[in-house]
Amino acid sequence: MNHNSFNDSPVPDRTDQAHTAFDSSVARFRAQHPEDTFSGASGVLFEQAMAQTRMAICLCDPHEPDMPIVFANRAFRHLTGYEEHEIVGRNCRFLQGPHSDRSALVRIRNALANEEVTVVELLNYRKDGSAFWNALHLGPVYDAEGKLVYFFGSQWDVSDVRAARAEELHARELARELSHRMKNMFAVIGGIVNFTGRVRGVEAEAREINDRIQALGRAYETTLDDSRRGTVEVGQAIRAVLAPYDPDGTRFRFEGNGLRSDFGAVSVLGLSLHELAVNAIRNGALSTDKGWVTVAWRKNGSADGPAIRIDWMEHGRGSGVPDSDSAFSGADGIVDRMLDMARGGIVREWHSEGLRAKLNIPLREAAE
Amino acid sequence: MSGMHPSSNEPRRVLVLDDEPLILLDLEFAVEDAGCKPLTALDLVEALSIVQNNAISAAILDVSLGQGQTCEQVARALAALGVPYVLHTGDLDRMDEAVRSLGGTLVPKPTPASVVVARALEPLTVRHQ
Repeated sequence: MNHNSFNDSPVPDRTDQAHTAFDSSVARFRAQHPEDTFSGASGVLFEQAMAQTRMAICLCDPHEPDMPIVFANRAFRHLTGYEEHEIVGRNCRFLQGPHSDRSALVRIRNALANEEVTVVELLNYRKDGSAFWNALHLGPVYDAEGKLVYFFGSQWDVSDVRAARAEELHARELARELSHRMKNMFAVIGGIVNFTGRVRGVEAEAREINDRIQALGRAYETTLDDSRRGTVEVGQAIRAVLAPYDPDGTRFRFEGNGLRSDFGAVSVLGLSLHELAVNAIRNGALSTDKGWVTVAWRKNGSADGPAIRIDWMEHGRGSGVPDSDSAFSGADGIVDRMLDMARGGIVREWHSEGLRAKLNIPLREAAE
Repeated sequence: MSGMHPSSNEPRRVLVLDDEPLILLDLEFAVEDAGCKPLTALDLVEALSIVQNNAISAAILDVSLGQGQTCEQVARALAALGVPYVLHTGDLDRMDEAVRSLGGTLVPKPTPASVVVARALEPLTVRHQ
């Protein structure tokens, strides 16, 4: 075997494991274990693979007392900070420390006892005392006769992966806690409005106010999951706002998915749909047993003036034009005023099937 | 009126448990509006004492009562007595598995108090129709 071909590598200064091929520990191990069939092509492969891989690898001898490490490649030394002579001859447990998880160690012991392949994540310690999360993959190595020769262990530092996982988990927990508190707060606000209305003798007005507040709450509920993206999925907000008016899920047909909007559009969008639904229950398609409403949304407008376009199409009302303007626009024209204020608008048409309304709300797209 | 016990003129007693006084106040009114007698509890101790000392017809239980406490103990006591209850919670996802397995009707927060009360009384009207 000729190591020099590796020594003459054109990039001799690189120090990471992928580019430092020469590893004399492999040759020493082979010299000390001549009985193992590391000759010929497989020997070359073993030598080069052990030397070149960035994966830390060791072999342990189960036939020696306390199963010492008999081979550790360069990546193993690089990962742990120990020299070869500090590694070979010792049991792997020298990498463990005060915070290594007992249950992980038990799993390792069991895998060794049963000659099983297993992957365990455990906290290990480098020579300098610093800790790292080690994804340890271990398993038995058999000879041609099927006799156990070594245990193979590969180590990979997954500290970064675990930190990212923990951070994501923490963010999710936080979003959930926020969502929980927000729902509670909306419930409290609802309570205040209700009992104030009751003691003041204005229960109907209080209910109207409360219904609007709760619609707002539902529209905002969906924003929390997306808080890190800074945008809301419009369809989720629409479905959440309209859900209470359709307990059986048969009265609304939703068309349009994936459109996202900034948080700013949520309040007007949510309240407008709430008012349309209330009017539909009072005078429109939802006042009949068989009526239903299609709600479709898409991106509309020009490149420099994008907008959310919502089509509200009532079906199956069956009777003619409503008897008053209030059935068109709601009792106080609140939808028109809200949309005007948001620099959007609404156009209503009356068809034989019922109301058709086209809503427009400016879309302030966040960079994604 | 569904609030009247069929065998007497006594209004039905409904236990309402929530650690938030303002929600409790709203629910108390709503229970009265339904013709029942509300018995309110702000914590586990109050709720358990009400369950022990009164013939309860139905209950509305806030799931998380602060400081890591849940309504589980009250729910178990009611289940043992065969009293129907709704679980009124702002976090269905995080709800304790133990509480979920108790099998009360789930009512997400926020839901209008009148609807919460109606859901709580549903099993009674069905039973006596």
